[in-house]
Amino acid sequence: MKRLKVFKSLVRDSIDTTTQGSKKYHLWMALLTFVMLIGMYCYSLQLEHGLSVTGMTDRVSWGLYISNFTFLVGVAAAAVMLVMPTYVLKDIDFKQAVLIGEGLAVAALIMCLAFVVADMGGPSVLWHMIPGIGVFNFPNSMLTWDVIVLNGYLFINITIPFYILFRRYQGKVPNPKVYVPGAILSVFWAVGIHLVTAFLYQGLQARPFWNNALLGPRFLASAFAAGPALIILVLAIIRTFTEFKIEDKTIKKIGMIVTVAAQINLIMLVSELFKEFYAPTHHSESAYYLFFGLHGKTALLPWIWTAIPLNVLATILLTFGKLRNNLKVLYFCCFILFIAIWIEKGFGLIVPGFIPGPYGKISEYMPTGIEIGVTLGIWALGAFVFTILAKTAIKIETGKLRFKTK
Amino acid sequence: MSDNTKKWFSLRLNSKKKQSTGSCSCGNTSGGCGSHSKDQISDQEFDAAVDAAIGDERKKDGFDQVFDVKMDRRTAFRKLTASLVIGAGAVSTSCNLTSGEESKEKAQIDWEEQFKGNYKLMTDDEKKATVDRLVRSYQLRKGQNISMSSKNAEKDVLFGYAFNISKCQGYMDCVSACVEENNQDRNSQMQYIRIHEMKDGKGLKFDEADDNYYHEVPAEGHFYMGTQCFHCDNPPCVEVCPVQATWREEDGLVVVDYDWCVGCRYCMAACPYDGRRFNWSTPEVPENEINKNQHYLGNRMRKKGVMEKCTFCVQRSRAGKNPACVEACPTGARIFGNLLDPNSTIRWVLNNKKVFRLKEDLGTEPKFWYFMD
Amino acid sequence: MNRYNNIHILICILLVSTLFFSCKHGEDEYHSITDKIEAKSKDYHGTSISSEQYLEGVKTIEITEGDHTFLIPERKSQIKSYACAECHSKPLHEMQHTDESKKAHWDIKLAHADQNTMNCITCHNGDDMNDLKSLTGTTIDFNRSYKLCSQCHNKQFDDWKGGAHGKKLAGWAPPRASMTCVNCHNPHKPSFETKWPARYNTQKVKERE
Repeated sequence: MKRLKVFKSLVRDSIDTTTQGSKKYHLWMALLTFVMLIGMYCYSLQLEHGLSVTGMTDRVSWGLYISNFTFLVGVAAAAVMLVMPTYVLKDIDFKQAVLIGEGLAVAALIMCLAFVVADMGGPSVLWHMIPGIGVFNFPNSMLTWDVIVLNGYLFINITIPFYILFRRYQGKVPNPKVYVPGAILSVFWAVGIHLVTAFLYQGLQARPFWNNALLGPRFLASAFAAGPALIILVLAIIRTFTEFKIEDKTIKKIGMIVTVAAQINLIMLVSELFKEFYAPTHHSESAYYLFFGLHGKTALLPWIWTAIPLNVLATILLTFGKLRNNLKVLYFCCFILFIAIWIEKGFGLIVPGFIPGPYGKISEYMPTGIEIGVTLGIWALGAFVFTILAKTAIKIETGKLRFKTK
Repeated sequence: MSDNTKKWFSLRLNSKKKQSTGSCSCGNTSGGCGSHSKDQISDQEFDAAVDAAIGDERKKDGFDQVFDVKMDRRTAFRKLTASLVIGAGAVSTSCNLTSGEESKEKAQIDWEEQFKGNYKLMTDDEKKATVDRLVRSYQLRKGQNISMSSKNAEKDVLFGYAFNISKCQGYMDCVSACVEENNQDRNSQMQYIRIHEMKDGKGLKFDEADDNYYHEVPAEGHFYMGTQCFHCDNPPCVEVCPVQATWREEDGLVVVDYDWCVGCRYCMAACPYDGRRFNWSTPEVPENEINKNQHYLGNRMRKKGVMEKCTFCVQRSRAGKNPACVEACPTGARIFGNLLDPNSTIRWVLNNKKVFRLKEDLGTEPKFWYFMD
Repeated sequence: MNRYNNIHILICILLVSTLFFSCKHGEDEYHSITDKIEAKSKDYHGTSISSEQYLEGVKTIEITEGDHTFLIPERKSQIKSYACAECHSKPLHEMQHTDESKKAHWDIKLAHADQNTMNCITCHNGDDMNDLKSLTGTTIDFNRSYKLCSQCHNKQFDDWKGGAHGKKLAGWAPPRASMTCVNCHNPHKPSFETKWPARYNTQKVKERE
């Protein structure tokens, strides 16, 4: 009963916290709400007219939504990079960053689920997927694996930080015996969500561009570059706008992680390019289309040739310790790396999988305005969720929000 | 039991004050409580329906009172979703107070359609009931009768198909017949069959073939090859479906339950043969062009956001006929039959001609063979 | 650290066992579709599906050629001016060159092989127009005109007998009823013509551009 009371008070306090703030904060939230509303309007159009309002066709049947979904699974998985050393190796440096990381994971997962739902042709019959009342094609369909791991990961990433914050809120110290096993589980789980998501594509013999053994590992490497890069950027923002203290040391350590992951990612990229272009088979057509265009169809060239130089530049800059330890350079590198991987793993991965089609037919894909509107709306939703989570968490962590016993 | 003790929100669209139902002990102020609903006027039913769509507080689902639906399956879930979109949709249908039996029945059909199970798992009786419901629904909506079959796969039948590359002239009568037979969306010009025009002397170069031609055929120096769903014996599309909305029937047909499909399009990505089509918008077929001889798994009308594909015209093939494409082909390039019948013509083709299949190395085991004279 | 090891082992066991149980084991263990067809058709006793109802109103005759016995449409009742002897009361050479007789069949132009190989009397019997005749002069019934075609087109004849050439009359289901040569080919002009396709072969018109 007492717990319920504390919980009620926590909810009330967090609502207070999230509705109060500086002018900048309110402006930020208003902006996000506005974008979300635009997204909802676009989605209502899509519901009414069907997916024909998107740029997708029978030839390219997945597009912007699934691209973003794939990328964000990586971002969500990356929270593990912070969890592991903090809880398991007792590295105190990361402790402050970890709650932010897990908050980011929750936001990313909510965005993932939203993107999947947005991509569905029949969202009103999604209950067909719920085991018990629907039919859940487990274990045959990798998509069911993905549903399980994503929801499981969402659960873990909500419960652990919640437990910690709940204890802190009451002024108690969280019991490691409770949260450390959960943290260890989430380490495995994070690798799981990303591998399973890769298997989603990797297991399709119909799409040679995806059907290669390197896809899974490359997913992991790029995720562990892009995710922490985003965390660095978020920490930088939080550092400037709130009183939450994050030491340089922490950010630099995360920067180290980004560097190693980006290097591994680059090595894998080189390996993939070598395989596709040194001895090209007709399975390399997708890669040719992506990098050079096929038969005059060149829609993806601007994207990929933005991504590759940014990726290479960021990795090179990060490799030099002196540059990396300069926070301004680090932020810049993280930003361009994030953009590069977003392109490479979203657009650059999903769309060429369908081009050329099973019979070599090339028809290109361009997202429509409505599709972009929904996408922006979902990103705004993610930012909104994250802001709320982070604001409450920071207040509790800094000790400003405590349960008052009356 | 006055209005001020009410804990939930209810719409008051009718200014007429309701008579208080003193004997009613179910705590409802605005709606009937089940035992009353039948003999009271329609605005009470209406309120009950609205309440059901708005609040879960009641012990009993408002739709029970309105529609007298049997609550044998998925009771809990129905309650949970009563407030959701479809519930609201059903309510709005029942709100037409001209109502009468018909709109009530319509709403009930919608309701049962929304929450029906997967066709694959239905018993024969349930299949029959579903099909009857759809026929009735069509009658209510369009005032026309259709016939819909739920015929199961026959024992000792495994359908197979052979395509004679030497014979095909690219006339596309098959494509045309297929569209007409299977009620495909005319707006997006959806077609299950693609005919690829290939250059002589280049071999089977699909990537250089034109599957989009419109000129006099057969064109000089070209040959033609048709593709469609190959009804693989080891179909990757079936494997990946998260809800088992698509499966291989005993007679080898790979079919889709359009109403069970959630529209994730994973099967489309998994198909190596471009065999699947998606309804990107609501399919439209002019009323006078609708083929009214239908099968649940075949050419019945689809909705937007679901997958569909060639079913070897299940409504025809299970009745002993040839698929529409086979019948329409003027050159006899298409051969269809029972692979298990040693005397069938398709077996003779497999045993006596040099047959091959596309992308055999993928292990999908298509039941669609090509051969030349 | 020991406890962590235990957890680790536990998770590994879990993972391995899920993988094990999720391994695909096809419901039938045939190596390929041809194996499956062979095995399953060993004890084939026919199906209850029949295409007989679709043959109603179509006059057919049963023929046996080699190992194959099947139905083909009856031909004579389909020829408007049969029996030919109603006009061709005299042998052909007597009817020709008589100016007062009406010209018949004037619109038939033979576009079948070349002049050296074929003319009218390669198939028609000038002395008995009610029947056809083979190259060696034996009589061939109009209902069995395929025998005439098979003299030269023996490869096509083999394919037709087996079912690789030509079309079925009703459905796939037994009894087998196949169209005969003249149901698709005009014997005087047997090859197919070029024509425009029945429709656009396209998913969307815009894709054509």
